[in-house]
Amino acid sequence: MASISRIHGAGLGLKRELIPQLQASDGKSLVAAIEFLEIAPENWIGVGGRAGKNLAWLAERYPLAAHGLSLSLGGPDPLNETFLLQVRQFLDQYKIPLYSEHLSYCSDGGYLYDLLPIPFTEEAVHYVAARIRRTQDILERRIAVENASFYVSAPIAEMDELSFLKAVLEEADCDLHLDINNIYVNSINFGFDPHDFLRGIPGERIVYAHVAGHDQEAPDLVIDTHGQDVIDPVWALLEQAYARFGTFPTLLERDTNIPPLAELMHEVNYIAELQARFADGKSLAAG
Amino acid sequence: MAIPEFQQYQLQFAGHIRNPAERPRPAGVSAKRMRVYTQIVFNNLESSVSACFPICRKILGARAWTRLVRQFLEQHQCASPLFRKIPEKFLEFLQTAQDLPPYLYSLAHYEWVELAVSVDDTQVDANHVDAEAELLDRQPVFAPAMALLRYDYPVHRISSRHRPVASSPVHLLVFRNVTDDVRFVELNPVTARLLELLKDTALSCREALAQVAGELDHPDPQAVLQFGEGILQDLRKQGAILGSKR
Repeated sequence: MASISRIHGAGLGLKRELIPQLQASDGKSLVAAIEFLEIAPENWIGVGGRAGKNLAWLAERYPLAAHGLSLSLGGPDPLNETFLLQVRQFLDQYKIPLYSEHLSYCSDGGYLYDLLPIPFTEEAVHYVAARIRRTQDILERRIAVENASFYVSAPIAEMDELSFLKAVLEEADCDLHLDINNIYVNSINFGFDPHDFLRGIPGERIVYAHVAGHDQEAPDLVIDTHGQDVIDPVWALLEQAYARFGTFPTLLERDTNIPPLAELMHEVNYIAELQARFADGKSLAAG
Repeated sequence: MAIPEFQQYQLQFAGHIRNPAERPRPAGVSAKRMRVYTQIVFNNLESSVSACFPICRKILGARAWTRLVRQFLEQHQCASPLFRKIPEKFLEFLQTAQDLPPYLYSLAHYEWVELAVSVDDTQVDANHVDAEAELLDRQPVFAPAMALLRYDYPVHRISSRHRPVASSPVHLLVFRNVTDDVRFVELNPVTARLLELLKDTALSCREALAQVAGELDHPDPQAVLQFGEGILQDLRKQGAILGSKR
């Protein structure tokens, strides 16, 4: 497994609602398990005032990981290099060692501010891989790409999600941000075995992972809301991943329906507990 | 060069999300699954916009508001990857939107400016500010996050119960104070002119007040000076003026 200095252990996705509670809990055992926080550069670039000061306060206390939303790696518009330079400056300013983005797109001449699925075609593999390489050149670092959740499979697809993911990672030579919940969500939405999917993952590229909850809309449809507690099948997948690939920094995402920090910490603590359990476990990692 | 097939698909997919009624989804895609996207994208956009413009939303009513946000999604290409710029892009769109109350754009701008000033990251170099010195013979230093605004309508008094029937200009000073709270101050036209001069020229407070007295053709420039000094002291107390330029 590749390693990213400063980002390790269990982390929490930062939401503005949580900031006062994080400040009030500073140094207390409640938040002891939080080894890092994750932020979206799109929500913080160029932000001053109270919000900017809060971020500076948090950055002094926690290592930060950056998880992008708007790069549109799979999008039809030219890569937004002006934005990437802003991202680079932001990563430098807050000494953020990890930047990950989604294997998806979010623009069609203008931004839609949501993650849309890339059709899994050969042409798309080359296109996305080239854009990831260009991104890595501009940022002068490797980036991690996340397996996205989705709801519509493209009739024009030429391969399955796992083949697409592997082909892109290989051709771009980038890291993998493994979203455990997304594997589960897609397995329900498209009827495959999530454990088989996980077994096919190139473990040596994993640098980072997400777990989250979701909303079950119908027996065959899960919406990736990050609005519920993590369910047991997702924890089981995380365990399987640790057992197979060794542990990696893992973040709890909670974006809607956010409970008090004390409640979220049960899940962060559980990530840390699993990591401790698997710390000396079996690992296929390359090093 | 022809657009690759996967991109044609993506453009059609996104186009349908923007306007599900008129732009068909890609062939062979499940209508039920496609609706997940049309709903998520619209709902997220609607909540981002509504969070910034609660009064506009109330004034127009939920149905008209939803229609307006739908048009925004259909017609406007947002050029910023930053989520917090969504309200600014909505303002751009409002300038071209039809059939809105004449005061709505001003009201929306007023609602937006609070957000803009609250996160403005303009810095002021503390070494260039003399917080102790007398203001009168120097240039003032304003709070770095500040806007001097003139609206055609009294936007700060508009509510669903109080809708302006005629245009009536109003001047507002919006700034972020040292505790990072956004403050609004209503200004009379003379004070607005004074602040405009102090903001946009290199005049000292005394010189700017003399110019204002001249522009007013005021019989007693000394009275204008005293009046103006009081106002500037008050703005300093409130945190709109940090001190004098060193």
